[in-house]
Amino acid sequence: MKPHKDKKELMELKHDAVPGYRGVFSVVFTLSLLYMAFILFQPCF
Amino acid sequence: MTNSVLPALIFMIGGFLIPFFKGRAKSVYMMFIPLVGFVNLINIPLGDHFLMNFSDFKLVLLHIDRLGLLFGYIYHIIALITVIYILNFKNDVEYVAGFFYAGAALGAVLAGDLFSFFIFWEMLTIGSVMLIWARKTKSSQAAGLRYLLVHAFGGLVLLAGIVLHYTETGSLEMLKLTLSGPGSYLIFLGIGINCAWPVLHPWLTDAYPEATIGGTVFLSAFTTKTAVYALARLFPGTEALIWIGVAMAAFPIFYAVIENDLRRVLAYSLINQVGFMVVGIGIGTELAINGACAHAFNDILFKGLLFMSMGAVMYRTGKINATDLGGLYKSMPWTALFCCVGAASISAFPLFSGFVSKSMVMEAAASGSHLMGQKSYVVVWLVLLFASAGVFHHAGIKIPFFAFFGHDAGHRVKEAPLNMLIAMGIAAFLCIFIGTYPKPLYDLLPFPVDYHPYTISHVLSQTELLFFSALAFTLLLLSGIYPAEMRALNVDADWIYRKSGKALYHAFDGILNPLNAWCDRVVRGTASRTAYFFKDAGAKISLFVAVNIWLLAGYRDQRLEIKKKKLYNDILHGTLPAGIGAAVTITFIFLVYVLI
Repeated sequence: MKPHKDKKELMELKHDAVPGYRGVFSVVFTLSLLYMAFILFQPCF
Repeated sequence: MTNSVLPALIFMIGGFLIPFFKGRAKSVYMMFIPLVGFVNLINIPLGDHFLMNFSDFKLVLLHIDRLGLLFGYIYHIIALITVIYILNFKNDVEYVAGFFYAGAALGAVLAGDLFSFFIFWEMLTIGSVMLIWARKTKSSQAAGLRYLLVHAFGGLVLLAGIVLHYTETGSLEMLKLTLSGPGSYLIFLGIGINCAWPVLHPWLTDAYPEATIGGTVFLSAFTTKTAVYALARLFPGTEALIWIGVAMAAFPIFYAVIENDLRRVLAYSLINQVGFMVVGIGIGTELAINGACAHAFNDILFKGLLFMSMGAVMYRTGKINATDLGGLYKSMPWTALFCCVGAASISAFPLFSGFVSKSMVMEAAASGSHLMGQKSYVVVWLVLLFASAGVFHHAGIKIPFFAFFGHDAGHRVKEAPLNMLIAMGIAAFLCIFIGTYPKPLYDLLPFPVDYHPYTISHVLSQTELLFFSALAFTLLLLSGIYPAEMRALNVDADWIYRKSGKALYHAFDGILNPLNAWCDRVVRGTASRTAYFFKDAGAKISLFVAVNIWLLAGYRDQRLEIKKKKLYNDILHGTLPAGIGAAVTITFIFLVYVLI
């Protein structure tokens, strides 16, 4: 192993949101939930 | 009887001779050992060999059957690959420990009785601890000691189980056991500790990332897989294993997602994959056992490949945390490629090895509803599906993404050394070969295989699962919801016994130490009072008798005090008047007479 001491070590690596994707995530997540609910409760209909 | 050599001895003795070789001869010799071992193994006929009488026991040091052979073959293959991988390290301790460890694992999976199995099982602990300590850091020393304590305890539990089982049945044969008596339960638990069952697992995620770079590759192959072998041999079809396996497959996902140390992520992933195997063994049908064994075979290869790729990254950059890595595909393209092959294999992508074995376990779970009941089956099936998606997320995406892609950490390093690339290349080739042409693997499995992984429904459902997992990861990352990678210590199940250990200590400190002090006071006080009393007991008794006589005789006040002092001093100085002595003696005899 060759540690590179000159590199500054990060305490935290955050993942910043890309504008617009929060909405996309919400839509996809909602649709996924509805789809899963439909599959799981299909025998009830 | 065979003319071959005990496979474990080839590794162990061969390993101890390594320090006597130098330079290129050492490298050639080290690769020679697993090759010779492999040739030796394939020439041993099925059946029992190396029978030995030890005290009243008839030991079978070598039992060759399809189950043991499967593990024997893959142990030789991974030993060869790992040896190639570590050729440039020039660390004799690591070499010797690695071969000793591999030999012990071979001995355990080829042992024909429980006692021989136990001996090799304990040797596994010695070899693995040496691999952890070989890194020679403070944290590795501490982790190795914790590992040793846990495995020594596990070994004792196993030994107690074997002894009880022997006294109950009079047999040491490695045959299927049922959970009926304390012996079988202890054997079950002893194996479970090495299998990293939930709550018993922290030794694995604690110690594996602390071992040497090559040591972690060795460790990922042998300890847990030997435990899987033992469960497949001794407890197939034990329903409890289904639920234990389900828990193993599910819970590490959450830890792996938030873990920063990428080798520790792989350690959690290792538990997750062993969970699939344990579920298969618990289901216990021929398909399920085949699936568990095939997955163990494949896991040794792809998990070894992933650990090797992370080891190469660590070797070149000196870093292993996700916070410190990223963008390495530019500097280490081959390592990145091999890592992606390992990631695709562990995620069970079609055409990669994980697909042809994990789908067997899933299929066995799907067809095992008659064994578990319909509702239980649905739960098992759903959790395994969830675990499949989870493993793709943390091992399939997270590992390559944070090491080689993602944010560029600015490391401009050389590609991994040639020997490391060759080792990773062989493992990657085998992952793809088995994934595209699984027949040779299926031919090695314990039971005849009538299973076809490449059906439209298998391929479509697995691909759908993986792509939706990828979509989830991408959207979580882009929308900023994905948890940040942080330098932190994640609280795991070891918290329970670290805290309960401290609480137990404080409880004992608060109860036993005061009790001890109180006992001390009582004993010392009683002793001193008794000693004080007996110091002039004769004088006091004599005074008691004499004073009453003097009172009757009319002595009072100062005259009485003078007589008391005189008598007291006379007795202490040994000048007791004969009359008083006679009176005390008579009184004593009278008292004895009355009391008796």
